[in-house]
Amino acid sequence: MVTVPKKFGFGSFVSSILWLVFWIVVIVTLVGLPLIFIILFYVPLPYIGDEVLTPYLFFSMMVDPTRTIPIIKFLIHTDIFRVMVFPGFGYAAIIAAVTIFVERKFLAKMQLRVGPYYVGRWEGILQLMADGLKLISKEIIVPSGADKLLFWLAPVLFVATAAAVTALIPVAPGGWVVADIDVGLIAVFAILGFFPLIALLFSWASNSKYPFIGGLRALHQMVAFEIPFILSALSVVLVAGTLNLTEIVESQYLYWFIIIAPISAFVFYISSLAELERIPFDLPEAESEIVAGWITETSGMLYGLIQLGTYLKLYALAALFVILFLGGWTGPQIFPEEIIPGYTGEKIYNHIVINGIFWFTLKTFGMIILFLLPRGISPRIRIDILLHTGWYKLIVLCFINIFAVLTLIYGGIIPTGGILQ
Amino acid sequence: MPGEYASQFTPIMYMLGMGFLAGVPALILSKILAPRKSYNPVKFLPMECGQMPVGEGRSHFMMQYYAYILMFVVFDVMSIFLYAWGTSLLSIPKSATLPMIGFLGIMFAAMGYALYLSGKKGIW
Repeated sequence: MVTVPKKFGFGSFVSSILWLVFWIVVIVTLVGLPLIFIILFYVPLPYIGDEVLTPYLFFSMMVDPTRTIPIIKFLIHTDIFRVMVFPGFGYAAIIAAVTIFVERKFLAKMQLRVGPYYVGRWEGILQLMADGLKLISKEIIVPSGADKLLFWLAPVLFVATAAAVTALIPVAPGGWVVADIDVGLIAVFAILGFFPLIALLFSWASNSKYPFIGGLRALHQMVAFEIPFILSALSVVLVAGTLNLTEIVESQYLYWFIIIAPISAFVFYISSLAELERIPFDLPEAESEIVAGWITETSGMLYGLIQLGTYLKLYALAALFVILFLGGWTGPQIFPEEIIPGYTGEKIYNHIVINGIFWFTLKTFGMIILFLLPRGISPRIRIDILLHTGWYKLIVLCFINIFAVLTLIYGGIIPTGGILQ
Repeated sequence: MPGEYASQFTPIMYMLGMGFLAGVPALILSKILAPRKSYNPVKFLPMECGQMPVGEGRSHFMMQYYAYILMFVVFDVMSIFLYAWGTSLLSIPKSATLPMIGFLGIMFAAMGYALYLSGKKGIW
């Protein structure tokens, strides 16, 4: 006869559940209810439309899904939604994640490999998640003699600075941008200038020779390509007459600026590649010369954070190219005016905004693919040729386009007084 | 209002904070999850392709790039000045472009001379 030990008996099972219920009741009465009262007394309730959102109204809205639309509308027009979800961090991080996967598959197809294949049922779709788990569960090794504070801080700073760049990117019409400032373009250049400094700080902090060489190379590259990068956007500013990125997009409703500034667009593309440290210009991370450049000593999640920051930056620069030269969110209206015909209630669907998001994402993704492309087809450039390209050729090309645009403006071909007027 | 103008920039600070909010918990989680093996002095040495590191990590480094750095300081500021002109181009009289062309000519001549000299002296 089999005897069940007492602790596996049914009675003890019931009693354990009762104990659990007892403790939940005790904790809710002692902690939960006072907390709810404190919140109800001291936090002002938000206004939905013209009535206060009381708990009764909240629960009655929860019963009928169409009644929650005012709450959702209220939430998506707050700053916190913008920063955390849509034009801000969430959207950029999703695009960055998709970019990492697409880059691996795309380069594999270009080089007749298969790329990630096993994780997940279809084409290794879960590879990214596996990589994330791997990175987060690896030991972080801080080399002896490293500056501990800077070594831990620099990757986080890298991600934070990349996120700050994406804050300035307008995504859809109607103010879908985190920070809509008058000098948006200059602010983008200002924040992008921090990246080589972070690379140099990190390389100094890691107390090793390869990172140090890589950091100095990052600085050289920045010095050679910063001026063409800034000047290539000038011909767009000459035509648009503003530095606000939203207004630059709005002034392209007739034609894209790549038509009148093709050379500038080319220079912007080349110097963006240099700014991103991508393949023809990846001297700071040249893996066949200096191990991994300035990220040699990173391990585990520190490396993961730097990768995340790099891809956020890639998204930001591709989006900036789209905004300056490819007309941002402008495109033919392909979404219908209403999804449910004959519905006359509170609406959350805005066909113009959805259309803008669709075209913006499509163009940005096309640009990201263009940024990924040289990695499959091009070898690394020598450092003196890189500096020569930056200083002697690209700056001159920028000025050629600037003078062409000036000629067009003063010849009366582009209307003076701005496209906007 | 200067305060109002500065408050335009606070969303950038929010995004910066969001970056910290994403980065710091990831590092803390990694610190909790990751294995901590016993101390081993070789493991924490700086990476030098498997060899014992020779010399200091932060050594002196010949950086023969000063001519370009000086030019960068001048021309980076110039390009930002050009933006101030570029935004107001459509609201200033046409004759105001001539001094600008003169300024660009002077800068171009200076830049050409500097590049010529740095090419002649063989700095990179």
